[in-house]
Amino acid sequence: MMKELKEKIVQRIKANFADAAEKNDFNYNRLDFTVKKETIPSILFYLKDEMGFIHLSDANCVDWLEEGELELVFIVWSPKDKIKIFVRTRLDRDNPVMDNLDMIWPQLNTYEREFREMFGVQVTGLEAPDEFILEDWQGPPPFRRDFDTAAYAEKTFWERPGREDAQDVRETIANRDGEEIPDFAKKYSR
Amino acid sequence: MEKKFLILQKNTQDKMREKATTLYIGPQHPGITGNMMVKVQVEGDTIVRARTEVGYLHRAFEKLQERRNWLQSFTLLCRFCVPEPDPVEESYARAVELLEGREVPERAKYIRVLMLELARMGSYMLWYGGQSGSLGLYTIGQWTVGDRNYILDLFEELTGGRVYHMYIWPGGVRRDLPEGFADKVLRTMDYFEKRLKDYDDLMFENTIFQKRTQGVGVIPKEKAVEWGVVGPVLRGCGIKSDIRIDDPYEVYDKLDFIVPTHEGGDIWSRALVRRQEIRQSIRIIRQVIENMPSGEYYNRIPNPFKWTLPKGDAYARTEATRGEVAMYIVSDGSIHPRRTHFRGAAYVHGITLLEKILIGENVADISAIMNSLGVCPPEIER
Amino acid sequence: MVNDKNSQKIVDFIQNWARKHSIWVLAYGTGCGAIEIPPTMTSRYDAERLGVRGAATPRQADVLLITGYLTVKTLKRVIRVYEQMQDPKYVIGFGSCTINGGMYYDSYNTIKVLDKYLPVDVYINGCMPRPEAVLSGFARLQKRIAEGRANGAQQYKDNLEWYRANQKKIIPNWIMPEYNW
Repeated sequence: MMKELKEKIVQRIKANFADAAEKNDFNYNRLDFTVKKETIPSILFYLKDEMGFIHLSDANCVDWLEEGELELVFIVWSPKDKIKIFVRTRLDRDNPVMDNLDMIWPQLNTYEREFREMFGVQVTGLEAPDEFILEDWQGPPPFRRDFDTAAYAEKTFWERPGREDAQDVRETIANRDGEEIPDFAKKYSR
Repeated sequence: MEKKFLILQKNTQDKMREKATTLYIGPQHPGITGNMMVKVQVEGDTIVRARTEVGYLHRAFEKLQERRNWLQSFTLLCRFCVPEPDPVEESYARAVELLEGREVPERAKYIRVLMLELARMGSYMLWYGGQSGSLGLYTIGQWTVGDRNYILDLFEELTGGRVYHMYIWPGGVRRDLPEGFADKVLRTMDYFEKRLKDYDDLMFENTIFQKRTQGVGVIPKEKAVEWGVVGPVLRGCGIKSDIRIDDPYEVYDKLDFIVPTHEGGDIWSRALVRRQEIRQSIRIIRQVIENMPSGEYYNRIPNPFKWTLPKGDAYARTEATRGEVAMYIVSDGSIHPRRTHFRGAAYVHGITLLEKILIGENVADISAIMNSLGVCPPEIER
Repeated sequence: MVNDKNSQKIVDFIQNWARKHSIWVLAYGTGCGAIEIPPTMTSRYDAERLGVRGAATPRQADVLLITGYLTVKTLKRVIRVYEQMQDPKYVIGFGSCTINGGMYYDSYNTIKVLDKYLPVDVYINGCMPRPEAVLSGFARLQKRIAEGRANGAQQYKDNLEWYRANQKKIIPNWIMPEYNW
């Protein structure tokens, strides 16, 4: 039953979108399609308006540094058929451009703002303030793989040096403030 | 004549401009749920335009997880949304299990459901306080937030932590139920069942609460799914939708419970839905304790510092009190996640939806609307 | 008004005694620590018996409770809020992440050591500190106030340039009024 339904969906999508490459196993309630970046608006419109995949569950971006590409993944869910579909596309990492899609689902506006800020994806036609999460950020887009967050944090923020003399912190504080350490706690002191 | 008309028109425009005032509500504001800002333009006290500004709590979890191994991520995960950390842990654990194909013992699944439902009740108790506090009814918060401690006591006995548990992990749960724990849970449930009536008398029978919530913050039913509304907020619009039923996980398909819905789409119907869900949670917890099988509770994972997952991705969704939360993980075959992405309900509710439904509302109701939508800023910016 | 040493002592004692018993906390949850504040304030732990209660605006508050990590964006607002508060004012750093960064030690967006940017009177460690720990932190602050040792605000005034330099180092776009009182 479920398998037939899925095969029907796959056939319909393949008939309408010739470039949709599928990679599906029918044991798990999800279907997976990879399309060219130009097809994304039309396939999402088709899924939403014609096939009942009205709920956008998630949209996110994966940085494939070694392959020089950014992958966009849109996950849509059909409340009627109880199936989720993954729609993937790849963008060139050096010049990532995507079209604005917030006329399909208004909440995609938020996701696109995050792509723009965190991955440096240029979204043509997006009407939103430049800054979303970060403020006065001057470095590269931080969610890209080649941005080293630990090195940046070490360079920018103060770090509290660790204790070199290996003294017991609890004892020091207690001595300083004139407090008694209870007997059960003394056992664990060095 | 024409000139005079133009001047008249200009004067009217100026007057209009004078009328519209911009208010910055937050980030330091007692009515805001968490640390975010809502910038509203008001005419009189009616909102004509609303914009949210988030990012005050951005810790870059998704970036930090790329530097942790698969198990170390759990310490970060529970900090995603503070009032209710367990659904996040559960969805991540289940995504890892899906990717690896790891079996989970039946007993562990039941214990997970117990945890999730206790967390749901605890979160709703906090919501009672927030929702009523935003309308100036502070006694309810004193009762429910105080009683929430009984649930946190159970968590503390089971996991060692009041707020953050890190109890659900890949392969099962961290430890078995201690001796006599089931009885304590049942006693607590009896107590809450008795108390729920008191809360009703204080909150739902209260005329102030009724008048200030009915017809406020209405979400149109026909647009709700398209706008990304999920969870109790969607059920408050009269649409039956629950991940526990639609896309069942753990052992929810073996349990008997109903999904309450209410027509209306305003704060009042969302509150009623939540109120009825507490009753259902108690029902689920009783069933779980009755039907819990004995046996293993943990399918041991290999050494976490050498533990690699096969290439691929997985997506696991969980029903939290705010709605659908989900974890998307990508593995490239190494010991670190390639990318993790957390889908929170507040990511949609707190930005695009809030901006839409605030228009035409009263300034004084902003806080009540935010509470009823379950806006949780740490989940938005992560 | 008071010239001789002994009268000054008595005035200080009375002043500190009064301050110690009305610690009004600014309702500004800057991080996840805000989740343990409602239990602390409500019926089981009931912090109000120590004179601790919430205040809605910075002008009426005595204590700025930094509940958890501070991102750079929030730090800017927190400094603004702290400078709006009137004397006497105290800062409590709540949670491990205010002390040494905690689990966000490698995050590009959170500060690690709070006392480089604001004068901290009391730290409460733990992630998350229990309500008992929070109460103990408030009790410690009361003790320090009574002894006249909670003088973070004076320290901030005296070393304003040092604090300001640290703050400006990580906040690139400084558009805030100068603190000059």
